Amino acid sequence: MTLDPRDAVVADAAVPEVVAGAGARAGAPVHRASLWRDAWRRYLQNKGAVVAGAIFVFIVLFCLLYPLVSPHDPDQIELTNAREGPTLEHPLGTDAFGRDMLTRVALAGRISLAIGLGATIAILLFGVVYGSTAGFFGGRLDNIQMRLLDALYGLPYLPFAIILLAIIGTINMWTMMLALSIASWFTAARIVRGQIITLKQNDYVRAAQALGARWYRVLTRHLLPNTLGVLIIAMFLELPGVILGEAFLGFIGLGISPPEASLGSMAEEGRAEYRANPHIMIVPSLAIAVVVLCANFIADGMRDALDPRTRETKEG
Amino acid sequence: MALLDVKDLKTHFFTREGVVRAVDGISFSLEPGRALGIVGESGCGKSVTALSIMGLIPRPPARIVDGSVEFRGRDLTQLSERELEDVRGREIAMIFQDPMTSLNPTLKIKTQITEVLDRHFGYSKDEAKRRAIELLEEVQIPNAAERIDDYPHRFSGGMRQRVMIAIALACDPQLLIADEPTTALDVTVQAEILDLLEELRREHEMALILITHDMGVVAEVADEVAVMYAGQFVEQAPTLELYDRPEHPYTEALLGALPQLEGEDVRRGRLLSIPGRPPDLIAPPEGCRFAPRCPFAHLGDGCAEALPELRRIRPDHYVRSRHPASERQREPAPA
Repeated sequence: MTLDPRDAVVADAAVPEVVAGAGARAGAPVHRASLWRDAWRRYLQNKGAVVAGAIFVFIVLFCLLYPLVSPHDPDQIELTNAREGPTLEHPLGTDAFGRDMLTRVALAGRISLAIGLGATIAILLFGVVYGSTAGFFGGRLDNIQMRLLDALYGLPYLPFAIILLAIIGTINMWTMMLALSIASWFTAARIVRGQIITLKQNDYVRAAQALGARWYRVLTRHLLPNTLGVLIIAMFLELPGVILGEAFLGFIGLGISPPEASLGSMAEEGRAEYRANPHIMIVPSLAIAVVVLCANFIADGMRDALDPRTRETKEG
Repeated sequence: MALLDVKDLKTHFFTREGVVRAVDGISFSLEPGRALGIVGESGCGKSVTALSIMGLIPRPPARIVDGSVEFRGRDLTQLSERELEDVRGREIAMIFQDPMTSLNPTLKIKTQITEVLDRHFGYSKDEAKRRAIELLEEVQIPNAAERIDDYPHRFSGGMRQRVMIAIALACDPQLLIADEPTTALDVTVQAEILDLLEELRREHEMALILITHDMGVVAEVADEVAVMYAGQFVEQAPTLELYDRPEHPYTEALLGALPQLEGEDVRRGRLLSIPGRPPDLIAPPEGCRFAPRCPFAHLGDGCAEALPELRRIRPDHYVRSRHPASERQREPAPA
């Protein structure tokens, strides 16, 4: 993550600025300081989160860009070079078919991240729609929705994903996303519902109603944007679980079918000969671990930055 | 014709513990351009009265069980939610107690003002922005044209309340309901806001219902005052009349709890307090609701048995008590 010098200046100036704003003197120069800029400043104070964020961005860019510039064709089989350790030509060695591991891990990372992000967004989407209707309308509808959710909560999500994949039959990126999100949006729905119920008590919601705002406007304009902070945190909290789930499915052979590979299915390929050539398994496994760890650190930093409760204790 | 005519309004909350009679038979009417103050202690039903007029009471558990709220000839309690939404903000506007939470922290001030204009008048973006700046200037916010792009957290409490007033005024409503508009503010800022409200009311010829627990605030703004106790009006009179010749023992006690700095008969010594606490609104006392705390309620005079009617004691002066000040034989020994 690059440290934009402009942002750094604003971040430093933000503290006295807020004080000046409270005084609201006539004629005083007015600076902009949005909620997000304040959050960004707080995020930068968390060193672990900044490092994790930088690594995460690097990994994403690497996965996206490296296959384009790589000198090796990821699908080209060169059995003469098979199972090589790290060399200058193949920085991470080659796999059992002599394919360049660095290029392959970038491609697999693309798929893993795409599935992870896609499934996470799907989870949040389900969660927002379900949770906000329950929280906003309340009463009997809320009760029915929540009891249904309680019942669904018992579903173990990986077996459910396996069964679903078996029923659908074809395994590609889209069915993987569906399988991973279908039984894991329950927590997101509860978070959103709780947020909406809390936010509904706010005076500005009553004020909006007192000014004649229709219900959908109250919901989309005044309630949902205010859940955004929590949703972003939830997103980075869900992401590791989904990526791990995908890796697990890949590892037990239910992942994306060859020649395409995700990090999980790459690790599975390496498992057969991990004693002789451990790097074939270690490389994708490490990649999974790093992505998951980074997402966790980022979620942590974001919670400090965006959650009003931790905010008070940090700034006090 | 009266602008607002509330008749025998009853709003009850149906809770697990029982029926809470938050508003229990309130009647008043308000002429265009006049200001009515409703005073009473916390929990006496002031805010619920305001929310009932706006149709904003939380349903469930609350319900308007009886009475009517006639606004310009239409009974608001009979309107559908959609029809009510067209009245709210356009004809009746409301401002709330806590300006710190009354503005949406994620939207710019501009958006929050233009939202109302767009909703009720369908203004174009440029028109709405121009009008929004005018409104901010009208409520005396410096640098209105620049401040309009700020988020609420850049404003102080007093400034936010000004913004709230600007939003409420956006559609030039005939009636403004202010629910404790100055309670959360510093004393100096309170005075500014009250002056502003008063000025705007005269300019826009707008009727005002001011809800407060502060007798001083009411005296400054209202033409007429209603004193509320346990869900009912116990006294109602023009402001000066009420302050000069309070009739209900409760009103007397409220005025006695005010510090007095000047005047002919400045009280010396301690401020008076009212013994006891407000009654439980689930099972209010039979008879007069103030009886358990009233220094004039004696055994056998009927105070504990039957609820007194709100009766006219002088022209324009109504009181709900068996022992109004002007009819008392002799003062009881001071407590």
